[in-house]
Amino acid sequence: MVVAQKSNVTLKSLDLFREVNKTFPKTTQILDLKQQGKKVFGWFCTYVPEEVIHAARILPIRITGYSEEVELDDGNAYFYINNCSFSRSCLQLGLRGGYEFLDGVVGGSTCDGARRLFDLWRHYIGTPFHQVITVPRKSTEPAHELYYQQVVEFQQRLEEFLGIKITDEALVKSIGVYNESRALLKKLYDFRKLDAPPVTGAETMEVLDASFRMPKELFNNYLKELLAEIEKSGNGYKGRARLMLVGSVMANPEFVRCIEGQGGLVVADELCTSTRYWSDPVLLKKGEPPLLSLSRRYLNNFPCARMVPSDDRFNRIIALARDFNVDGVVSQIIRYCVSYAHDLPLLREKLGQVGVPVLALDVEYGTPGSGQIQTRVQAFLEMLEAKRK
Amino acid sequence: MTVAESRTDKINAIVRASRLILRMNPARPELQKSDAIYYKMLATYFTRLLEAPQKGGFVAAHTVFFPTEILYAMDIVPMHTELTTWMAAMFLGEQAELLAGGAELGLAPEICSPHRGLAGAFLLKALPRPDVMLWSSLICDNSAKSGELVMKLNDCPGFFLDRPFQRTKPEVDYFVGELGRMIDFLEQLSGKKMNWDRLSEMVARMDEHIKLLQEISELRKAVPSPFPYQGYLKLLSVDYMFPGQPEATEYLETLRDELAAMVKAGKGAVGKERFRIMTLFIPPMYMSGFLEKISQEYGAVSVVEPLFTLWMEGGLDPSKPLESVAKKSFLIPESRTMYGPLSKQMLDEVVQIARDYKVDGAVYWAFIGCRHTCATIKLFKDVLNEIDIPMLTVDCDLVDPTINSKEEIREKLERFFELLEER
Amino acid sequence: MEVKKAVGLDVGSQTTKAVVLDGTGILASAVITSGDDAEASAKAAIEQALQQTGLQFDSNLYITATGIGAKSVSFSHQQKGLTTCLARGLHHLLPSVQLAIDIGAESSTVVKLNERGKLSDYANHDKCAAGTGIFLQQMAKLMLMSLEEMSAHSFKAKNRADVTNTCAVFAESEVISHVHRVPPTPKEDIIAGIFYSVVSRIMTMCKRIGIKKDVAITGGVALNKGLVHVFEQEFGFALLVPESPQAVAALGAAIVSKETLEKGT
Repeated sequence: MVVAQKSNVTLKSLDLFREVNKTFPKTTQILDLKQQGKKVFGWFCTYVPEEVIHAARILPIRITGYSEEVELDDGNAYFYINNCSFSRSCLQLGLRGGYEFLDGVVGGSTCDGARRLFDLWRHYIGTPFHQVITVPRKSTEPAHELYYQQVVEFQQRLEEFLGIKITDEALVKSIGVYNESRALLKKLYDFRKLDAPPVTGAETMEVLDASFRMPKELFNNYLKELLAEIEKSGNGYKGRARLMLVGSVMANPEFVRCIEGQGGLVVADELCTSTRYWSDPVLLKKGEPPLLSLSRRYLNNFPCARMVPSDDRFNRIIALARDFNVDGVVSQIIRYCVSYAHDLPLLREKLGQVGVPVLALDVEYGTPGSGQIQTRVQAFLEMLEAKRK
Repeated sequence: MTVAESRTDKINAIVRASRLILRMNPARPELQKSDAIYYKMLATYFTRLLEAPQKGGFVAAHTVFFPTEILYAMDIVPMHTELTTWMAAMFLGEQAELLAGGAELGLAPEICSPHRGLAGAFLLKALPRPDVMLWSSLICDNSAKSGELVMKLNDCPGFFLDRPFQRTKPEVDYFVGELGRMIDFLEQLSGKKMNWDRLSEMVARMDEHIKLLQEISELRKAVPSPFPYQGYLKLLSVDYMFPGQPEATEYLETLRDELAAMVKAGKGAVGKERFRIMTLFIPPMYMSGFLEKISQEYGAVSVVEPLFTLWMEGGLDPSKPLESVAKKSFLIPESRTMYGPLSKQMLDEVVQIARDYKVDGAVYWAFIGCRHTCATIKLFKDVLNEIDIPMLTVDCDLVDPTINSKEEIREKLERFFELLEER
Repeated sequence: MEVKKAVGLDVGSQTTKAVVLDGTGILASAVITSGDDAEASAKAAIEQALQQTGLQFDSNLYITATGIGAKSVSFSHQQKGLTTCLARGLHHLLPSVQLAIDIGAESSTVVKLNERGKLSDYANHDKCAAGTGIFLQQMAKLMLMSLEEMSAHSFKAKNRADVTNTCAVFAESEVISHVHRVPPTPKEDIIAGIFYSVVSRIMTMCKRIGIKKDVAITGGVALNKGLVHVFEQEFGFALLVPESPQAVAALGAAIVSKETLEKGT
């Protein structure tokens, strides 16, 4: 098990985030805002520029599936068994009314699962507004131009839908809110670089889950409270090894808890629900439309495995491993998540070259970690310990 | 045996098999002329690949739905990776070896089997080493991801052609730009120059091919329908391997004339046509002979394949070659229907096609490695059921013969034909 | 010459069912355990049914065979698919039914009937034992009780243990770990989990082809009240269970025989 220092205290403000996660999608905050007449949009993938939705005074939330491994009979019937359990889980939650309050959904052409999830959602669930954004698989200059055009078009369609104008001022303000969130999350992550981090990987994931499930301003306030509490606490955790999580979309803190229960302290990750969600701020440039700066950030962001060349992703993973002093990498790939599965042989080799071993786990979305996973983590940790000796 | 020799072994096998089929010409008498042209084309394609090293040819390996006409216009020798791998494997019965190669690389079994196998083929050095690897986002995450590993296995350079998701002007423009950048890259790498006049000629011919393919589809509306169940693999290969090539024109013209003659004589593909089938997605390639047999036995004919052989639109302009190459990429039936948002309009279109071709039932070959097509099964089933057309779904694998037995497939089809009979 | 009797035969891997019709309705039926030899079992089932009537197993029968072993019955006059026979039999017994679930020993099938009672669509799975009769029997062995006891216990469940529906082998290991957990998961909760895993697997098939009322359940499993109850909770309405649910396909086959005879004369 990850060992807490004797002096460790309970972080009370974590409950704020837990409350959100416990009731999501139908949180009191969301339902209250709906009651007040505010619109809520769901987005499917981190290549959707959230700030545009925010600037339109709509609450953007991320569509995720069940937080546990459930029988996906609706998901299986409307998708097919060979689609990733993330997309099946999301669709089933949607089909069963979990997201019935949504006024719009926005997707990206990012992977096969994401684009079909959008198709099926539109066909069988439906919302007043829906749009899928074409996301190039490169981040060359022409690709940036295309993606920017897509973001501009998205903004225009949103304006038509709402009958309003999204001003540059509103955009800059929203970018400010989101950048603040990114900066705060960076602080949280910086704590994890310490020899004895004051938060665990599971706790961090609870915070991040809430980050895309609630109004950003409120989240920032919660997070400031938490950071202050951490600072005061003097908490510290030690594990048998420092681990980094990579791979498919994952939002279940229980899974991290399962790894930490074996003594592997999770100090870093490259997940689209975590680091890839917040890592790069939007850099506003003088004389440049804020929407352009925004679109640049989204296409240049820490890449998903869908992007070419994959070296960009590998290099950032290696840099993270160095910055967080990682002993080993746990790759968790949802079955049929092909982009990540294709990258695995090359990633394993690259990490091997810098002396970081990889444990590759095949998982289903929402898994809290099974006995088999525990056994494999256990063996991996033993290997890492032996390597150190 | 040296590696270099072993690398040509597989290609040799395809050439030999093509020539053997050519000599035997097993096609029905009415279609023998076009069949002969087809297998001659196949032999030529692989012979060119085989002789490339001696003749100083520059070989480009590429993934499916790649604009091969660009390579032809630059005098670069194409190697369709998926097709070459699997034709060789099928003719030699070596599917298991290639898949084991993919597994050895650490590719998960959930990755589409043709892509696992092609990586395996390069690992085992079972295919010639290409001078360059070209791949694109068509048609799925597998194709978008398979290039880098192949580059590494062959220690060769490569280019990823980013084909955007939707057919809007900015996206088509971006794709035209991508094609241009790829041509620049290839010119620098190979020392070969793009021959724009040649590309224009090919575009003109591709336009002709689309019209011919449309005429062939039109002829298949006849009752009884004249085209054999498994013929569509040949229709597919026109754009896969011979876009804009004069041989393909000859093939399609001959086939059209033969089919027209059959229709005129009231001859169908099977003795007595009982069931007109709409085929959705591609049946296991290695079962083609067997499925043809079943087709004859039960009088079941595939009359239309909206997701992969039915060209709904043409109109390529030789005076704008690159724009036309880009446009064609959006017209290829499979990329048109399966890459891009699946709109209500597309579903309505399939319903209309079912009516136009007097379809009795649809069969969806649920290739388990193909996630994005399987995700549409319910959508198609629902719209077809609305007009009282039943749809059978058969779980299968395109290339791995260990997934289904012939008995199982027979049983499923028999049961479905029984349902059609009952109605 | 005496009119031929219409016989339907359903040769399953566990049981073989025979139904004999005469002009007015079901004359006799029998359900026997299948032996290794499908042909012998088929003959035995027909003979047992005929015993009740005083008729002989002779050439005066017209036999339609269905089920997994239908092809091995050399004396049958024709073979029909299980889906067709299920639809025919059900429509005869319960004309209002539009969707039927048949849980056989080795495979489960869902059939959809149109307004005329004809088979209009179906879905089945047979690649894995999850969601089949055999799976339930395996589970009963693990739980050290009979299927009837499992059914009775399931009504007492307060919670539902997690049991996957994707793979019978995984499900088995999950059930074992529930049993050996300290403290062990209550038996009735494990059973509820087992039943739900079967039901959810089959619900996927129902949803894929579309749910329409009335819905019936056939096959031996239909007698398992606990399992039917879980189905009813998922559907949100009551299911129809025909009398002798095991013999529905055999009845359908007999009806097909009768139709063939009528067409012939």
